[in-house]
Amino acid sequence: MNKSWFDKLQTLYFGEDDFRVREINCGLPLRAVCLDTMCDDAKVSNFVLQPLAYIKRAKTVYDVQSKIAVGTGVHKVPNFYAAVSDFTNGYTLVFDEYNGCIAIDTRTVTGRSVIEPPTSMVMRGPREGFVEDVKVNITLLRKRLKTPNFKTVNLTVGKYTNTAVCVCYIDGIAQKKIVNDIVQRIDAIKIDGVLDSSYLARYLDVHKTFVFRRVGVTEKPDIAVGKMLEGRVAVIVDGSPMVLTLPYLFVEDVQSPGDYYENSAMTTLSRVLRFVSVIASVLLPALYVCLQTYNYQIIPLRFLITVLNASEAIPFSPLTEMLLVLIVFDILREANLRMPSAVGISLSLVGAIVLGDAAVQAGLLGAPAVMIGALSGIGLFTLPDNTLILSLLRLIVTLVGGLMGLLGVTLSTLCVIIYLASMQDYKTPFLAPFAPDIPEDRQDAVTQISVPSMTERPHSVPNTNKKRRG
Amino acid sequence: MDKNRVSADQLALMYFLLIAGGKFLTLPSILAGDVGHDSWLVLCFSFLWDGICLAFLLWAIKINVNARLDIADILNNSVSRPVGIALFAIFFVIFVLRADILLSSCFKMFSVTFDVSTNWIVFALPFAALAFFAIGRGFNAIARTSQLLFGLIALSVVALLVSPLTQTDFAELLPIGQAGWGTIVKTSFTRSFWFSDYIFIYFVLDGIKVKKHLYLPVFTAFFAGAALTVLLNAVFVALFGHLAPNFDLAMSKIGIFSVASTANGRWDWLTLSVWLISVIIKIIVYIFCAYKCIEKIFGANFVKINWFAAAFVTATLAVPLFVNTDGLLNTVIKWGLIPFAVVQYALPLLMPLFTRTAIDKTEARYE
Repeated sequence: MNKSWFDKLQTLYFGEDDFRVREINCGLPLRAVCLDTMCDDAKVSNFVLQPLAYIKRAKTVYDVQSKIAVGTGVHKVPNFYAAVSDFTNGYTLVFDEYNGCIAIDTRTVTGRSVIEPPTSMVMRGPREGFVEDVKVNITLLRKRLKTPNFKTVNLTVGKYTNTAVCVCYIDGIAQKKIVNDIVQRIDAIKIDGVLDSSYLARYLDVHKTFVFRRVGVTEKPDIAVGKMLEGRVAVIVDGSPMVLTLPYLFVEDVQSPGDYYENSAMTTLSRVLRFVSVIASVLLPALYVCLQTYNYQIIPLRFLITVLNASEAIPFSPLTEMLLVLIVFDILREANLRMPSAVGISLSLVGAIVLGDAAVQAGLLGAPAVMIGALSGIGLFTLPDNTLILSLLRLIVTLVGGLMGLLGVTLSTLCVIIYLASMQDYKTPFLAPFAPDIPEDRQDAVTQISVPSMTERPHSVPNTNKKRRG
Repeated sequence: MDKNRVSADQLALMYFLLIAGGKFLTLPSILAGDVGHDSWLVLCFSFLWDGICLAFLLWAIKINVNARLDIADILNNSVSRPVGIALFAIFFVIFVLRADILLSSCFKMFSVTFDVSTNWIVFALPFAALAFFAIGRGFNAIARTSQLLFGLIALSVVALLVSPLTQTDFAELLPIGQAGWGTIVKTSFTRSFWFSDYIFIYFVLDGIKVKKHLYLPVFTAFFAGAALTVLLNAVFVALFGHLAPNFDLAMSKIGIFSVASTANGRWDWLTLSVWLISVIIKIIVYIFCAYKCIEKIFGANFVKINWFAAAFVTATLAVPLFVNTDGLLNTVIKWGLIPFAVVQYALPLLMPLFTRTAIDKTEARYE
């Protein structure tokens, strides 16, 4: 004879201390089961046990479902797999003796409250940030999108973690084909567990490029909503405060959460600065090395004399010297990230002042090389999400520049640009609106026009409604 | 995503870079050697033929917009497959030779101008690697790269030209036509190997996306590129006069005029490096087209990149290691002028007819 769902569940959780069973008679014998550690005791008592105590003549468990008038989250469980999923998520299951089962929402709310995200601080603008709870995160989006067009698709990923994933979009703006594509990709994921949204980001990167970030990440609901209003899709993963946004453009890296709350002229200036500093931070060490090694004639004479005086006693070649500076800088940055903030400040001081100064005083490194390395390092932090990849890139370009001179710098830069230009996910070219050139989208790329003048949604991102106020 | 799809704008910008990319290296001194200060007239005539052929080629593109037949479909259905194979073989030789000669000029540029002497293999290998990589990423990526870098390259050319332009005495170009008009026209034919940069368009015929305009952007690019080339050549011969044939690399010599003194540093070298990107893009485009020729010759449509074919094509960049490029160029001009003229000048004129015939045949087959 087949085991009942209740028996199967009991077998699965045999020996677990937090497996709780209450037998109640409502005209027919019922069993209410829950995981104590995942459920809120008050909810179990108020939404399950108390109502059941008042029901007298139920014929099946579904009669009970229609008679429980308290609590909103009550649903019929279609199969045993769904029963286990609900049970592990904190629902209380009520079984009858005929394999009928309903699930009542008794999930406990544990987790941090909504605070300003530490990675996206702004001078002006909303300070709310996403948290680890998917339900709270959807609430944060719904608070800002009070429209029935805000749609969600709920999925579960991970064989063991059964992580809730929610795909959010605005119906009538986002292109349905892209939403379906994303849903299908998430649905097809075969993985043991999803511990953070970054796990999904790797699966949503169509070409599995890994080198450059191909999926947008934000910790701020206002940014997520802003992107959804442009036709993008947001993916919320339970247990992660980082919400993914797709499709993603390279130019989004240059944009900051506070950009839309400032004067557009100031925003343009900041973005241009970020853009220039990133290019300079990648190319500056390489140019310094190849100019010093091969094409020193390019450097103005007085400047050249200063550089030569500062580096004549250095026992390393310009390339080795610069690589040393860059690697030490990367090590310091890595150590700083993993240190408690109080110790981190001391580490920065030791690294920047003591180590740098000592190396120059000892004649191991030249002051210009340290200065160029530091300047380049600071530039990298204007795009904090891409510091690692940009750092790797500058090491490679410096190495090639040191070995081949200006030709090497030109070839390696061209190689990176061709690579970036070839990338296209979800019908969105990565380098849009510059390559391909989409003139309409230059209004909010590196330069930005004022918000009232932005009457159209971006053409780079596929959407079904181009008019922002239509 | 169609990796070989390009818009009319991208096509135009790329065409401009291809015109400006290779003609400021050794060509001005070669032409100055041939016809003296009338070399700019040779360029005018060459661009005149190019403009006529380009108009016909664009007409063929217009006819082909909806049918999206590739060059192999068109030639196979109009002039038969054996003739098509012969034409692709000629194309292959042209592309490989042009890439090799450009690379050889780049090598000279780096060793002479930048004082960076290295051996050919070390120099050519990164170019080959980049071309190999670009073949894998598709023509669309190359077109987008051109679009992205167009402004920077155009700016570098202007920066290199502004200073010498102010010091040029254009009276040095008088009397006009001193070399004789017959000689000028003849030279424009004998040096035709350096022109007809539009031939890369044959290999993206099926991927050109025409939304509004085609003639306007392409011809604007053509006229801008042609005007810039003629101007630079005129400046070069006017500045250096009888010495012009002795200066192998026009751009590097002209660049000297853009710097005031050593105290300011040779900033023109940086702009020269930026301009060199257009030469590199030109090499990449030619290598890509050579790869496409192999695809068409073998009647294959490589859905995925055929790495053997790509490796073979990029390996042809090593030819100057074994052959003297100047000697090669002379041999080419001696033996290849007529076959090359067939694909450079005769084929574009016939392309609208061939395209119409091919479309009719294909449609008839489906009916």
